[in-house]
Amino acid sequence: MAWVPAASGNRYAPAMTQAASFQADADTNSLGDAVAGSTDRARIACPSCDLLFDVTDLPDGATANCSRCGNFLTTNKSDAFERVTSACIAALVMLAVACAFPFMQFSRAGLENTMTLPQTVMELWNNNMPWLAIIVASFILIIPAVVTICMLVLSITLTRNHSPSWLRQLGSTVFHLQNWSMVEVFFVGVLVSLVKIAKMATIVLGTSFWAYAAFTVLFTLAVTNLDKFQSWQKIEALAAE
Amino acid sequence: MSNARTAASQDLSSCHICLKLVNSELHHCPRCGSAMHKRKSDSLQRTLALLVTSTILYIPANILPIMYTDQLSNSAGSTIMGGVVLLIKLGSVPIAAIIFIASVLVPSAKLMMMYYLCWTVARGNLGSERQRTVLYRVTEFIGKWSMIDVFVVAILVALVHLSGILVFRPGVAAMAFAGVVIVTMIAAESFDPRLMWDNLEEEAEDE
Repeated sequence: MAWVPAASGNRYAPAMTQAASFQADADTNSLGDAVAGSTDRARIACPSCDLLFDVTDLPDGATANCSRCGNFLTTNKSDAFERVTSACIAALVMLAVACAFPFMQFSRAGLENTMTLPQTVMELWNNNMPWLAIIVASFILIIPAVVTICMLVLSITLTRNHSPSWLRQLGSTVFHLQNWSMVEVFFVGVLVSLVKIAKMATIVLGTSFWAYAAFTVLFTLAVTNLDKFQSWQKIEALAAE
Repeated sequence: MSNARTAASQDLSSCHICLKLVNSELHHCPRCGSAMHKRKSDSLQRTLALLVTSTILYIPANILPIMYTDQLSNSAGSTIMGGVVLLIKLGSVPIAAIIFIASVLVPSAKLMMMYYLCWTVARGNLGSERQRTVLYRVTEFIGKWSMIDVFVVAILVALVHLSGILVFRPGVAAMAFAGVVIVTMIAAESFDPRLMWDNLEEEAEDE
């Protein structure tokens, strides 16, 4: 069963040529290469089209994409967890700075108003929109903070080869919540509002603005480096020991 | 078996949280503990119900004012489209375009794309599975970007607050709009793209 990679499947990495050579075959025989305890081969079903792939021998740095629908499957980076750890630590520092300092200052005709990040939430609350305040707070502060802390603990635990009993719970929290963080969307929202009122008044960007920009970059970096499949393979392998 | 290539054909289910392949008879994933389904349960019905909900929410989101501007003693509400028109009049065409694409084009296009995907699955359409999968991934990706307008309201309300001179207040449409975004995101999450490929598998088995 030879699977020819479709032309568009090559866009992720040059290593794709190697990854594409993985056979989409369910009949995998045990080759004794124990990746995850009792399970002998690392197999993955494409989340979009259910096709089976054997990704046991995915080389370091390579990315595997589904040969039928092109969906991303997994990527194998040996230093991924270290990258996640450092990105998360830096991201948390930036988030703390972003919450503590002024975000933007608005001044017009001698009057001025300074706004902090938590104020975006507080003002909605004061305007009798508690639900909207909760939604905005969750998407831009609470979920990103929880996900970053969980990713940090997860990556540290996995790097140190520990297997505490709550590791599974931690893993599912991270991968459940990840889709519901809107850090980057909020940042584009900030830029749009800046341009919207730039003609109306003088806007001064505060420390918090730059810190949140850095947080956006670092958070995205951590999320993209934390591969779902590889993390769970490692969690399982550690639990089996 | 020549076409025994999918997990389902091997009586395996893929865990949606940790991607583990387990026997389809199991109800809980042995690795992460989440509930197991071969396919997302009642995918079409749930997705359609959520799509209808967000379509209904989409009406107040567009008709009602998303933000009020209190300037001196005047108070004026502006709708999403009103804001776009105002920006064009003021000459900020690029920003008007961003707001228009994020708040008008993306949500409506997303709703239509999801309806179309549900319709093709219900009809058992064959062909163009790959394109439809890409379409699904696009709807999944652009979903949260519609929140831009809600965030713009939140920021402006907090920033522009000069009592008695110029105050921005949030409107009901902001809440409705946030509802549209969240409900369509859940709709995209409950849709199972593998259903499209299952049609293809069944066809192959019949031959």
